[in-house]
Amino acid sequence: MKAVRGLMAVAGMVLVGASAGAYAQDNDLYEKAKSEGNVTLYSATDTAQVQSMIDAFKAKYPGIEVDYNDVGPEGTFNRVISEAAANQVGADLVWSSAMDRQMLLAQQGLFEAVELPEAKAIPDWGNFKNVLYATSVEPIGIIFNKNVLAEDKVPTTRAELIAYMKSDEAKDKVAALDPERSPSGFQFDTNDAKTTDNFWDVVAAFGAAGGKTYTSNGPVKESIDSGENALAFNIIGSYAIEWAKSSPSLGVMFDKERTAAFSRVIGFTKGAPHPNAGKLFLNFLLSQEGQAELARNGLPSVRTDIDASIGFDFDSINERVGGHMQPIPLDETLVTDMDNAKRAEFLTKWRDLVRNGG
Amino acid sequence: MSVNSQTVEETARSSDRSLAHQAVPVRWASRVGDAVWYRRIVIGLLALAVLAPIALLVYQSFLDNPFFQANAKLSFSAYSYVLSDRAFYEALRTTLVVSAGITVLAVPCGAVLAFLLNRTDLKGKSIFEIIVLVPMFISAIVLAFGYTVSIGPAGFLSLLVKGQIGRVPWDIYTVSGIVLVGAASHIPYAYLYVSAAMRNLPSDLEEAARTAGASVWRVLWDVTLPLVFPALVFVTALNLLLGFEMFGLPLILGDPKGITVLTTYILKLSTLFGVPVFQMMAVVALVIVLLTLPMVFLQRHLLRNSRRYAAIGGKGSRATPLRLSTTSQVVAIAFICLWIFFAVVLPVGGIVLRTFVNAWGVGVNVFQHLTLAHIAGLLNVPSLKRGVIDTILLSTVGAGLAVCIYMAIGLAGHRNRGASNVVLDYMILLPRAIPGLIIGLAFYWLFLFIPFLQSLRQTLVSIFIAYTIVGLSYGFRLLQSLLLQISPELEESARTTGATIGQTWRDVIIPITKPGLFGAWILIMMLFIRDYATGVYLLTSGTEVIGSLMISLLATGAMDTIVALAFVSIVLTAVALGLAIKLGVKVDA
Repeated sequence: MKAVRGLMAVAGMVLVGASAGAYAQDNDLYEKAKSEGNVTLYSATDTAQVQSMIDAFKAKYPGIEVDYNDVGPEGTFNRVISEAAANQVGADLVWSSAMDRQMLLAQQGLFEAVELPEAKAIPDWGNFKNVLYATSVEPIGIIFNKNVLAEDKVPTTRAELIAYMKSDEAKDKVAALDPERSPSGFQFDTNDAKTTDNFWDVVAAFGAAGGKTYTSNGPVKESIDSGENALAFNIIGSYAIEWAKSSPSLGVMFDKERTAAFSRVIGFTKGAPHPNAGKLFLNFLLSQEGQAELARNGLPSVRTDIDASIGFDFDSINERVGGHMQPIPLDETLVTDMDNAKRAEFLTKWRDLVRNGG
Repeated sequence: MSVNSQTVEETARSSDRSLAHQAVPVRWASRVGDAVWYRRIVIGLLALAVLAPIALLVYQSFLDNPFFQANAKLSFSAYSYVLSDRAFYEALRTTLVVSAGITVLAVPCGAVLAFLLNRTDLKGKSIFEIIVLVPMFISAIVLAFGYTVSIGPAGFLSLLVKGQIGRVPWDIYTVSGIVLVGAASHIPYAYLYVSAAMRNLPSDLEEAARTAGASVWRVLWDVTLPLVFPALVFVTALNLLLGFEMFGLPLILGDPKGITVLTTYILKLSTLFGVPVFQMMAVVALVIVLLTLPMVFLQRHLLRNSRRYAAIGGKGSRATPLRLSTTSQVVAIAFICLWIFFAVVLPVGGIVLRTFVNAWGVGVNVFQHLTLAHIAGLLNVPSLKRGVIDTILLSTVGAGLAVCIYMAIGLAGHRNRGASNVVLDYMILLPRAIPGLIIGLAFYWLFLFIPFLQSLRQTLVSIFIAYTIVGLSYGFRLLQSLLLQISPELEESARTTGATIGQTWRDVIIPITKPGLFGAWILIMMLFIRDYATGVYLLTSGTEVIGSLMISLLATGAMDTIVALAFVSIVLTAVALGLAIKLGVKVDA
């Protein structure tokens, strides 16, 4: 008896010791972060969407201020390169929707690799050498106006989209982001050109229908919402699902054969002013708790263990879009495939088909 | 103190207007006690503040990479790319067409409006005087969205008309659409400066013309307008400049059909190269500056005898309004109301409607979709709340400080016969020539790389400085027109009794201009509220202002938030106007 009790006591202590060890590591980081007192982010995500995640972080780790700067994808890139050059690094974490620019910054050595416990839950395609992490997976789809285009007539495959745009009722009523002026439009279009075989047919049909192009998501959404346009393609689906919740006229549709998806990418800055707070926040962002808060606000999680009542995770969003989601992988082809000559060629081809009527 | 022969000559000439067309030779010798050092120092500081960002842009334009990168080398590659790009020339041509179109429409309308409201007995003057300035204080983004909601293809007025005649007879997504909308919103600029010049003209010349049998319109054309020639020249140059640097309007209205102007052409370059190409942005900005230099030169040439336009003299005189016939009254009021409907009611109505509905357009009965959610949303996000508060702070305190700075510069340029006056004229218009977005970027770099400015970068001070420089051309001209109307007799009598120039300024000039200073403060306040492009690169937590928040929200499509912010900015502007009325301030100085 005594031996069993002794054994159990030892086992108990070992267990406590083991978990205390893990907790002690987290606690250690927390103490250092608390003495830094602040974590600063440059981001391209609306504050409204991340507010609850920030609040959850502050509740779990009191004593650390979160300085969240929504400066947009251009702003994040500009700031990182110019601040590094001026030796005035201001952000600990840089979180942007422009995957290719984040990769560029990583290649220029402006980010540092960080090993984090929560990184294990991030799929391989979403982890670039522990330097860049995908923090969401957002499908790209079609938005349409329910009053102008009946739901059963909305195209559900690329072939149907081409047929729709060739029809009379689509004349002057289709929209898309302009790849010449919108970096995300460029990213989605070039990804389509790379991974599908009928992209240029889509563009030709778009041009023939007198397609209207926009520089940013706001005006596209307005034009669909008001019925000025009937349909817009290659739009960020996560935004669209959220828009549809508060705009009764707006509908969302995904290609049931194949749905591309992009991710918001985060990196840890070299020379970060508050490195421990930065690591702590990044770990929280990738954890189930942090990802759940993002999912709650319409940013589908890249993990697979989020409760469906809170929001989408990888599996549930994949199901929502028809089961054929293809995330854009976080690797160097993001930049190498698109050198200046290829960009110019792509854009010239686009312009010829859309502006000059093909 | 010697009274030199030049003064005697001029005093004699001023009382003999028939000689007014002879040129007065300018002598460069400065008089003793003319505050030469004050002028030189103030203008020198101004030149530094204006030229620093421009010099940085010039330097950047001759490099092949961002200037702060180690691999940046001197090169003409930016120039050769831009100047051989067909898209650049298309954008340049569109810009020139839009700019000229706006000026040709806005300046005459503004001048006639100023005449009607200042020199005639038009009914309803007091109401019109306030309303006519409103389009000026609505930011271009707000205007553009407002027009989309009211007269866009699915706008409420368009759908109404479509219901009656089967189609919408207009399209705002065209160059003509941009010109008409731009002209309607630029009329107040022309009105403002011409009005300030007309306000205190004595009526003796106009009355003389009337007694000789001239109609009211003849009087306008032959007497009043020539008397305010400097203001006309200035507003023409200003409107052309404003046309070149327009960004928000062509961004929204030019988007769907791919109409590009110089400022939106820059966006194309960034995507083409995958990274921000600052060197090419700098080239485009400098091209615009080079286009404006001849304008400033021309303006100086035309105004070298501005002394002839001084009208507030030692002798008092009454301004009697000209009487309009009933037909003229009706026609005039009808046109003004029509313009106000187009320039104010349509866009503001559009925004107000959009703020309180969650669906609009084809097949929607908006009254079934009323909501307060968009406004409530503003209160839930700290950065948005901060943005509203910072905007209020910047536009009240900041505008007040800016007026003091403009007054100091104005005094430095007042009666300045030195070479520094030439410098001043160019310094004033230069910042306006550069698109707000790029000046903001240049200031961002200055605050980032210059050691003693670094601590200011993430505070409102950086935005204040950028706004003050960008607002130079409006603010300084406002104060200069106040000062120009004071005839030298008043100052000279002070000097002959022994006052120093400082005392003259303090005891004679500033008291006379005081009422105008309040008006200038309200005006600058409203300009600061509506600025959107300058603060974009300086945007960070702590420097949010409504304008730049709206731009950054465009990218994520948060339209509901954008219109709620637009609504708030309209409310703030209305409050400022109301304040002006309550204080009995003449808003057009």
